[in-house]
Amino acid sequence: MAAANIARSALRGLLRSSTTIRTPVVCRLSTVVLQQKFSTINAALKAYNTQYLQNGAQNISVRNYSGGPPLTLELIKSRVLLVLQLYDKINPEKLSVDCHFMNDLGLDSLDHVEVIMAMEDEFGFEIPDGDAERLVRPKDIIQYIADKEDIYE
Amino acid sequence: MANVPLYGVKTHAQKVCSLYKRALRNLEAYYDRRNVYRYQAVLLRDRFDKNAKITDMRKAVELLKEGEDELFKTQHPIPKLFPTSQGGVAHQRVVTPPDWVIDYWHPLEKAHFPEYFKRREQRKKEFIAMWEKEYGTADKKEEKH
Repeated sequence: MAAANIARSALRGLLRSSTTIRTPVVCRLSTVVLQQKFSTINAALKAYNTQYLQNGAQNISVRNYSGGPPLTLELIKSRVLLVLQLYDKINPEKLSVDCHFMNDLGLDSLDHVEVIMAMEDEFGFEIPDGDAERLVRPKDIIQYIADKEDIYE
Repeated sequence: MANVPLYGVKTHAQKVCSLYKRALRNLEAYYDRRNVYRYQAVLLRDRFDKNAKITDMRKAVELLKEGEDELFKTQHPIPKLFPTSQGGVAHQRVVTPPDWVIDYWHPLEKAHFPEYFKRREQRKKEFIAMWEKEYGTADKKEEKH
């Protein structure tokens, strides 16, 4: 009898403390969290839908088996110029397609070797020394790479 | 990535540039962390720059020889190569048949592509005309076949 009384009082105490005081706080917190989750998921879904479903035909993802997008003359030009702009001895403001590495940009022959090596790394094939010393303008490099990769438009 | 010239004579500057390039590639084979490689490359560039102003040719040639020796002694056992360069994994993997093979197609095969072969014959005639305009008419007696 005594044990039952103790148990009942303990239960009542538990119930009182949990139901009357704690649950509203817990409930409020959980609803706030749920609402936040809901809004973020909604935003993500909306972004996903606009990106992939609305203009579906344009944005079908294509798997390029370790090959990048096909090279064009424009792409080669932008990549060559980007590599040159990032080279610390070239002033990006002076850089243009037609400027001469030695005369206009003030590089010496060892800098030129470094530029050619950067181009090799960028496009992934070797440029022999005999060809490299004729590539004295960005224009020549673009033309050379287009010839090597068989790109004419 | 050694580029061995099969013919022709290289100037001293060309030899130095070639040595510099091979030395950089050798460093690249040793140091795969890019920042570590850049640090070593700057040190190497400094060594080249220190001797750039030497006007005494005898001393310059000697230095070049020392450089080549050093590169030979410190060369990497497994150098990094581009796939399509000599010794690379894809070297001569794709063999493109030469253009003249198309001339030896069977006429029945050629008949499948009438437009193309019509234009091809036209281009050949134009090329022969251009060649004869530039170098004169070929002597008929010297023709073997």
